[in-house]
Amino acid sequence: MILTIYLYTQYRAMEEESQRLHLRAIAESQANTLDLFLSERLINLSNIIDDPRMPVPATEGFLNDAINKLQMASAAFVDLGCFDASGKPVAYIGPFPSLTKQSYASENWFATLKEGRSNFVITDIYLGFRGIPHFTIAVSRVINNRFIALRATLTPEKMYDFISSFEGAKQVHIATVNKEGFYQLVPPSLGTPLKPSAFMPLKNPRLGVSRISPKTGAGTYVYSWLNKVDWALIVQEARSREVDFFSDLRTRMVIAATIVFIILIGIIFVRAGKAVESTIKFERNRLQLGQAAKLASIGELAAGIAHEINNPLAAIGAEAGLVNDMMNPKYGETMTPEEISSHMDSIQELVLRSRDITQKLLKFVRKTDVKLAVENVHDLIEEVLNDILGHEIEISKIQVERNYECKAAEILTDGHQFQQVILNIVKNAMDAIGEAPGDINISTRCDNNKLEIKISDTGKGMSPEQLDKIFMPFFTTKEVGMGTGLGLSVSYGIVKALKGDIEVQSEAGRGTTFTIRLPVRA
Amino acid sequence: MGDKIKLLIADDEAKFLESLAKRLEIRGFYVARASDGRQALRYAYQERFDLALIDLKMPIIDGKQVLRHLKEHNNSVEVIIMTGHGSEELAEECLEIGAFGYIPKPYELDKIIEILRTAYAAHLKEKHRTNTALIEQLSTLEKEADPLNALIGMRRLAE
Repeated sequence: MILTIYLYTQYRAMEEESQRLHLRAIAESQANTLDLFLSERLINLSNIIDDPRMPVPATEGFLNDAINKLQMASAAFVDLGCFDASGKPVAYIGPFPSLTKQSYASENWFATLKEGRSNFVITDIYLGFRGIPHFTIAVSRVINNRFIALRATLTPEKMYDFISSFEGAKQVHIATVNKEGFYQLVPPSLGTPLKPSAFMPLKNPRLGVSRISPKTGAGTYVYSWLNKVDWALIVQEARSREVDFFSDLRTRMVIAATIVFIILIGIIFVRAGKAVESTIKFERNRLQLGQAAKLASIGELAAGIAHEINNPLAAIGAEAGLVNDMMNPKYGETMTPEEISSHMDSIQELVLRSRDITQKLLKFVRKTDVKLAVENVHDLIEEVLNDILGHEIEISKIQVERNYECKAAEILTDGHQFQQVILNIVKNAMDAIGEAPGDINISTRCDNNKLEIKISDTGKGMSPEQLDKIFMPFFTTKEVGMGTGLGLSVSYGIVKALKGDIEVQSEAGRGTTFTIRLPVRA
Repeated sequence: MGDKIKLLIADDEAKFLESLAKRLEIRGFYVARASDGRQALRYAYQERFDLALIDLKMPIIDGKQVLRHLKEHNNSVEVIIMTGHGSEELAEECLEIGAFGYIPKPYELDKIIEILRTAYAAHLKEKHRTNTALIEQLSTLEKEADPLNALIGMRRLAE
C-alpha cells in the first residue's frame, strides 16, 4: 500500500510536470497561431491599401471588392471602412452603415495612426458604437500627401474558433486577456468577454507559468504574450465536469491507483482468507490424522489381540484335543494320569496367559485419571528398584548405577503411573541384557521447567526397524509368552498424560537408552 | 514308514506344536517339529517333505519368509500357512507366493486333516506330472537317437 502511495505521488509529480510542459507547448503554439492570424489579417488589409488601383479616397465600389477578398481570406472580417484625416468615414461597406455618420477622430486607434506612431493598429476587443464585441485592424498610408486609413472590424468569435480548433483543445481552456486583465477571447464556461479575468499574467517573461489568485479560483495556468497585440493567451487545464471522465489523466490515475489498491486489499484478503482456511484445514487434518492414528492403533490392537489370544487358544485346543485322543480307545489309551495332568496344567497356564493379555489390554485402553501430588522422583525410582525389582536384580548379573544430578527432584506428578513407566523400562532393560552380566544406568537432570530421566542398558539393543515400532501396542522383540508388547505403549500413554515426552535411542548389540522428560509443574 | 505322509510343522508356541504334532502322529502322519522359521528351513533341506504347516508369525524368520525361500528354491513341499492374525491380506499374499492354502488359528483337527489330505493329493499329482514329463523327455531322447543310428548305418553302407 505504501508502495502504491509512493508510486502515485511520483506519478502525480511526473504527470503535473508533463501537464505543465504540455500546457506551455499549447500556449506557445496557440499564441503563435493567433499572432500569425492577426499578421495575416493585417497583411490582407495592407494589400488593399497598397493596391495601386485603389482610388484615394476609396470608393464604396472598391471597398465592396475589397471586403469580398478579405472575407475570402478570413470569415472574421465583418466590415471595411475608409477614413480621411478628419476621422470621418468616407466610404463603408458592412452591416452597420449607420456608423458612417460617426467621427472616429477621438478613437484611440485613429489617433495612433493620425499621429504617425504606427501605420497599423490592432485594437483590444471592445463594444464600440455598435454594442457588439469586436476588434479593429486599421492601417494608414499617406498617398499623394493625403492621409488615408482603412479600418476593418473583426468578430472575435471566428478568431476564437480558429485558436480553439486544434487537436486536444477539449482538455484545456484557452482565453486571451488584454494588458489590463480583461477577457478578450474567452469560452462561456470560463467568463464573459470584456469582463475582468481571473488571470493577471506577468509581463515578463513573455511566456510563463502563473497561478490564479486564490480569490477567483485555484490552479496553475500558462500564459504567452502575443507580439502583434497586447494580449496574453491563457491556457489552463480544463476541470469542467463536461470533460469525459476517463479522458482526465489524473482521474484515470486516481482510478488506476484505487483499482490497484482494491486489488491489493483483495489479494491480501484472499491470501489471509486462504491462510486462515489452510490453518483450519491443517488443524482439521491434524485432528483427522489423530483420529486415523487412533483408528490405526485400534486396528493394530485388534490384530494384536487376535494373534495374542488366538495362539494360546489354538494351543489350548490342541492340548485338550490331545488329551481326548489319549483317552480314546481307538488310539490305545496310552496316556498316564501324570501326563494328562501335565497337559491340564498347560491348559491352565495358557488360560492365565490369555487373561493377562486381556487385563493389560484393558489397562492400556482404559483412560485412567491422573492423580497429581508432589513426589520426589528419586524416591519413586528407588522404590521400583528396591521393592518391586529388588529380588530380580539381586539374582541377576546386572549392576544398577545411579547418577542423580537433579537437586530439586520434587515434581507435581502421578507417582503410581510414573513408577509404572520406570518399571516397564527397567524390566525391558533387564530382559535386553538377559542372563549375561550388564549395566543399567539411571540418571536424572533438571532445570526450572523440565526433569529428565535417562535409563540406559548394555543389552542387545534394537534395529532401526524395531525402533520405529517400539511404542506400538503388541510390538515385542521378546519370545512368545515373554512379553505382550504392551508395556512401552502403556508407558508412552502415561508419559503423554503427564504432559511429558519419551524418546528412545538404540543400537543393535550396543544397548538402549530411554529418555523421559517431565514438566516440573504438570 | 515309507508310505506315510511326511509333514513338517513350524510354530514358536511350543505347547501347541507338541500337542498338534502328537495328534497328527497318532493319525498316521510322519511329523517333524520346528520351533522357528530358521529350524523349519534347515529341516526342509535335510529331508524331503510332502507337506509343511507353517505358522505365519514367528521370530527372526517368519512364515512368509520360509514360504518364499522354499518356493524360490523349487522345493516341492506343499505349504499350508497357519495364522492367528485373522489377517486375510497377509494370507492372500502367501497364496500369491505359492502357498497351497491357509488356515486360521484356532481350528478343529478335522479341518486341518482335510486340508492336509487335499494338499497331499495335489502334491502327488504334481509329482506325477513331473515324473511323466521326465518319462516323456526320456522317450523323445530315445526317438531322436534312432535316425542318428540310421545315419551311422548309411555311412557304413557307403563305405
